[in-house]
Amino acid sequence: MLIRTPPPKRPRAAAMETGATGSPPPAAGSDRTLVIYEDPLSATPPPAAGSDRTLVIYEDPPSATPPQLDSSSSHQMLCTYQCRQLVKADFLVALSSAEKEARDCQSSLEAMNEKFSKVEAERKKYLDQFLYTEQELAAAKGREQSLQEQLLKDVTDSQERFRKQIESYSKLEVKLQSEMNLRMKAESSAASAEEDVGILKEKLSHLSESTGRGRRCLESEIEQLKGDSKLSATRISAELERMEFRANNAEKESQLLKEQLEDSQKQFKECLHLKGELEKKLSSFTFQEVTPSPTESHILVKHLQEELRNYEAEVREARKLKSSHENIELLKEKLLEEKGRRERAESELSKLQEIQLSMKKLEDELSFWKLVTKDIPGVSCSEDLPVKFAALQREVIDGTMKVGEVNARLKQLEVALDSAQIDKQKAEAEAALAKEKAEVLKSEVKQIQTMLTMVTDERDNLRNIVNELKKSNSGEAGNQEASGTGTLIQGLESCIEKKECYIKELETSLSVQKEANNCQYEEVKLLNERLNNEAKRIKSLERENDRLRSEISLLESKLGHGDFSAANTKVLRMVNTLAVDNEAKQTIEALRTELQKTKERLQAVEELKSQSGDSGKLVDSYISGKITQLKEQIATLEKREERYKTVFADRISVFRRACCEIFGYKIVMDDQQRPNGIPVTRFTLQSIYAQSDDEKLEFEYESGNTNILANSYSSQREISQQVEIYIRKLNSIPAFTANLTVESFNRRTLS
Amino acid sequence: MASKTASRDIITLRGSAAIVSEFFGYAANSILYNRGVYPEESFVKVKKYGLPMLLTQDEGVKSFIANLTAQLSEWLESGKLQRIVLVIMSKSTNEVLERWNFSIETNSEVVETGVSKEKSDKEIMREIQAIMRQIASSITYLPCLDETCVFDVLAYTDKDVAVPFTWIESDPKLIANPQMVKLHSFDTKIHKVNTLVSYKNDEWDEQ
Repeated sequence: MLIRTPPPKRPRAAAMETGATGSPPPAAGSDRTLVIYEDPLSATPPPAAGSDRTLVIYEDPPSATPPQLDSSSSHQMLCTYQCRQLVKADFLVALSSAEKEARDCQSSLEAMNEKFSKVEAERKKYLDQFLYTEQELAAAKGREQSLQEQLLKDVTDSQERFRKQIESYSKLEVKLQSEMNLRMKAESSAASAEEDVGILKEKLSHLSESTGRGRRCLESEIEQLKGDSKLSATRISAELERMEFRANNAEKESQLLKEQLEDSQKQFKECLHLKGELEKKLSSFTFQEVTPSPTESHILVKHLQEELRNYEAEVREARKLKSSHENIELLKEKLLEEKGRRERAESELSKLQEIQLSMKKLEDELSFWKLVTKDIPGVSCSEDLPVKFAALQREVIDGTMKVGEVNARLKQLEVALDSAQIDKQKAEAEAALAKEKAEVLKSEVKQIQTMLTMVTDERDNLRNIVNELKKSNSGEAGNQEASGTGTLIQGLESCIEKKECYIKELETSLSVQKEANNCQYEEVKLLNERLNNEAKRIKSLERENDRLRSEISLLESKLGHGDFSAANTKVLRMVNTLAVDNEAKQTIEALRTELQKTKERLQAVEELKSQSGDSGKLVDSYISGKITQLKEQIATLEKREERYKTVFADRISVFRRACCEIFGYKIVMDDQQRPNGIPVTRFTLQSIYAQSDDEKLEFEYESGNTNILANSYSSQREISQQVEIYIRKLNSIPAFTANLTVESFNRRTLS
Repeated sequence: MASKTASRDIITLRGSAAIVSEFFGYAANSILYNRGVYPEESFVKVKKYGLPMLLTQDEGVKSFIANLTAQLSEWLESGKLQRIVLVIMSKSTNEVLERWNFSIETNSEVVETGVSKEKSDKEIMREIQAIMRQIASSITYLPCLDETCVFDVLAYTDKDVAVPFTWIESDPKLIANPQMVKLHSFDTKIHKVNTLVSYKNDEWDEQ
């Protein structure tokens, strides 16, 4: 505060003079104000140099007071002196009061100065705090920016992930829907297939019922056939017995005939001998021409002729016997055949049941297939059934495969869906975490922003305070300072409150940071646990590694030892080793020497052979050896021939039986010769439905031509008619035989 | 030091089989020479694998080894060969004194698909050279063969291999309680050959 220098004091005498000459002193108690003024315009000469400046009391120049009042001037001078004294006293009082006031002001000023200094210090402090908060703000801004960027990144990443997850999820949903549709279709097809299977099962049950019925019918037929077969078997056995008897009789007859033949042969020989003698005699008789009586010669001739005739008859009989013997032999063969047939029939009886069963099965199958072909749609004949079944089986297989595939795909999709859901949940959790993080960051940002605003407000307040302080310092100290200090205190209090709020917010952020730190600590703990687990796993793997190494070393030792698994490996060695080669060479050489020796011996033998006959012995021995070889070959060939004959006989009998069963005729083949010498084959046919043994047909086969021979049976009216129609007119023997078979069968069944 | 980016040569199954069978031929000759199965004067020096290798001039042994390598090559091409063992036996007692075991690991993918592999020929030669050096140096630890010995070759094949006319099944001719020394191995990327020698414990060593 500038203190204006008091004006220089005018000397009091001059002042008194001026005052005396001048205006009358103011009356005591007047309202005039005492003004200390230095009149620069006054003509009064200044006090002498070096005089002390004295207080000049100036009074306003009197206003045209007449100079006339000289008498009163002394009075006035006294008055003015008193007034002056009063004024002086007043002035002194005022001066003291002013001095007091000045002192008070000074003290107050000092106090204000102190306060000002304090405020300045506080201002500085607040400035520092402000700068600190500004720095913190800048740092917080930077952190906020980085956090925002991070948050943005995280949010964008999570959004992208979430989008991808959603896309994959939508794709999976689409796939799932398509797979569900496929599954529905497959299920529907499976259901339809099951329905078809059920329908087929019902049909099968129907078929089985019908087959049961058919089986019963067939069983009844089979029983009938059994009866028929039994009858035929009994008949065959009776025939066989008859044939046996016949054969026995024929044997006996043949034996008798043989004896007779032998006798007749003997007789024949005797006759021939006699004939020869007789001829000799006759010739001798003719030579001698002894004249016996003509009657005797005639008698002799007659006798001889009779004998000749007898002998011729005997010869004929012998020939007949011979033919009968041949017939007997044929009969024997036939007997053997019949025996064989009987045995075969007996065996066939045992096989009859099997044949019947097979017949049953075949008939069942036939009827089954027939019914099935009728019932199953899309099948016209039995040949279509396998195709249809194959197609159905393929359809069922395809359906089951499709169902299996669809199930597998469904499972895969379910697995994928589960994994997608898990991923989705993870993504959602991550998104939630990210959102939380974002929210936390946002809250932090907000906090920081609020802090920032608070700090800026504080700063403004502080600035205002500073400005006010400045203003207060520039103006008067008293009133303005008082009001300024009040506002300053209020501002400071508000700043303190704000600071407290800021501190609280910092504490909350600190707690939040602590929580975050705790979370991170827990994460670190988890990671440590994982680390420990991984370390344990690594240790176990190392142990396993050591164990495997030991196993490897053991196996290597085994490998080195030469062990091997016989299931997968075999050990081979070259046969043609060097030692064997040598041995082989030696053996080869030995064999060569032997060969040379044998060659030399052979040469010597040949030379000897050419020289003498003794070599024939060698040849004979060689030939005998050859002969034995040939005999052995012959024996083997004969055995083979017999075997072929038996096989042929078996086969031909099988063929005959088959022909008999298929065509219904027993065929007997005879090779005969016509009188003109042409060989002819005769076939005797007897129907299996023949009611008697006489019902036989005879055919003659010669070089591709077959002719029916007339006999008692074919000459019957009915048969001859059929012969006329079928053979003569239609030239068809098979039709004739077939017709005859059917008629015989009908006759038999009706009977 | 040579750069590791050396050129790689393409190796086919047939080529690898030829390399392995040729290696066996030379290894067998080297073993027969070093172990004194045949007299030294019956061997002639040739250059192979960057080393002076000794090959027998005995016609019988030559033809034997030639037939052997041909058959081994065939088996190697079909991937059916598991091991080749060169056995050294006493001629008088037929006791097995040494077993030179060459175990073969075949790359089944190559056999099935016929793909070829790449490896530098020089690298393979270097590996074989190391084995040949080890065979030559094996006389330092293998017991002396004082008696006359003969050799034989065994082939460990798959069970389903058709036995050729000149081969028969045999016993593995093992050594009881052998000492084993593992040598180097070489790999053509198609066939990997591990070499191991097992020998009968020498009486002097046991004492």
